[in-house]
Amino acid sequence: MKGSTRSGSGGALVYLRTMAVFALVWTGVAWWTDNSILLPTPLAVAQAAIDLAKSLELFEHAAISLGRMVVSITIASAIAIPLGLAMGLSTRLERIVDPTIEILRPISGIAWIPLALFIFGIGNTLPVFIMTYAAFFPIVVGTVGGVRAVDRRLIDAARTMGVPQRTIVTRVVVPAALPSLLVALRLGVALSWTAVVAAELIGAPSGLGYAVEWYRELLATPQVMSFIAMIGVIGYLCDAFVRELNRRFTPWMPATR
Amino acid sequence: MTALALRDRGQAIGLGAVLPLTIIVAWQVAGMAFGGVRLPLPSKIVAAAATMIASGDLPLAIVQSLGRVFGGFVIAALIAIPLGLAMGTARAVERNVDPVVETFRPIAAIAILPLAILWFGTGTSAAVMIVAYAAFFPIVVNTVAGAKDVNPTLLQAASTMGLSRLATMRTVIVPAALPSILVGLRIALGVGWTAIVAAELAVGAKAGGGGSGGIGQMMFVFYAYSIELNRIIVCMIAVGIVALVLDRALRAAMRALMPWSR
Repeated sequence: MKGSTRSGSGGALVYLRTMAVFALVWTGVAWWTDNSILLPTPLAVAQAAIDLAKSLELFEHAAISLGRMVVSITIASAIAIPLGLAMGLSTRLERIVDPTIEILRPISGIAWIPLALFIFGIGNTLPVFIMTYAAFFPIVVGTVGGVRAVDRRLIDAARTMGVPQRTIVTRVVVPAALPSLLVALRLGVALSWTAVVAAELIGAPSGLGYAVEWYRELLATPQVMSFIAMIGVIGYLCDAFVRELNRRFTPWMPATR
Repeated sequence: MTALALRDRGQAIGLGAVLPLTIIVAWQVAGMAFGGVRLPLPSKIVAAAATMIASGDLPLAIVQSLGRVFGGFVIAALIAIPLGLAMGTARAVERNVDPVVETFRPIAAIAILPLAILWFGTGTSAAVMIVAYAAFFPIVVNTVAGAKDVNPTLLQAASTMGLSRLATMRTVIVPAALPSILVGLRIALGVGWTAIVAAELAVGAKAGGGGSGGIGQMMFVFYAYSIELNRIIVCMIAVGIVALVLDRALRAAMRALMPWSR
């Protein structure tokens, strides 16, 4: 792979320099507009973020949203991975299930929010449902694709040697499908993190999306921006975590950015 | 052989239809047997869809939302493609701009929505800005990748023949990067469509239904005011169909424009 922009000795320096220029431009615009509700200065935002961090409010909401995502990804994987494995191994099952998946897939998780609000009401279930739905499709599609790409000869060889079907799945199919599965997981995490913000913004009494909306109603823009930044930080960290999983479990694959 | 392939295909379609049809029939039967008045039923959904299409409400809402998506999409493309080409061809530009792009990329467009409402109000411009923000990142990332991936031999040939930077860009880099750019555009359009639904829903929810129109807003009104679940489901199906049509149309356009890239 081509060297990442941030690698090398000057990487961090360039990053800081660019962000410093960005902060300077921001400060200039903030002074020019001279309206702390519309556009507070970076310093005001940093101050708000520090206060929110000290009172632990920032971390409480982040922990709630993150917890919901972990639950959702677990549920989605628990359904999608076995289903994807079965669909990948049996053409008949794929023909039965795949059209239904393809019908539902274009309906984004966010479009489910009004109906889900009606069914579940405002609370924990709504964001978890929306995120599970959002994460389900990339994981199932990726798993099927991964199983399909497994070298048939490996399976045939195992079968010739009299390996039972179960062992073939756990020892041959799953390891070979793992890279594709982990890429799918990465996509699922990204999509569900996008969906959580939308779901919490509209229908949850807690979490980062809720906090952003709460402070917007109070016109406390520095706090709004602090929480938005937190959404970005956690999104980035989750992605980095899944990428690290990719590297650990499939070290032979080229690094993905 | 063709007859066999045809029969196989017919069989596949037949098998695929089993599950959706079973679900629909079971839903209808169970709903008629035990359900209350409010419970959505497939037959009622079809009737609601017919009314909404005949009255022109649904097509109007879709057109309104699509207009915003295209508006934001064009803004994003106008900024992201030149920026991506500059980043992909000039190392200095990439080094200095990439940190900003990478810093904002993990922030979901919907998270920006409260700021957009603050800056642009609850009308069309806030929604357009959300779409532009959402569409920007896939376009820029794919354009950079496409511009970097140009065959170096072509670039050397161009410079040997004394082509100016601008001419090289126009005749070598852009055509070579086009497939990747179009992939970015396709992803961006899908992301933009998702974002518009979210933006309209949230604006509807937070502005007390104060109309900004569009399909998301329509869904929210059916949820919050008239509580018509059948109509909400019609909207959901419409959202899915539009997403599918946009995706397929761009794929077909790509194939038609560039039969060499597959």
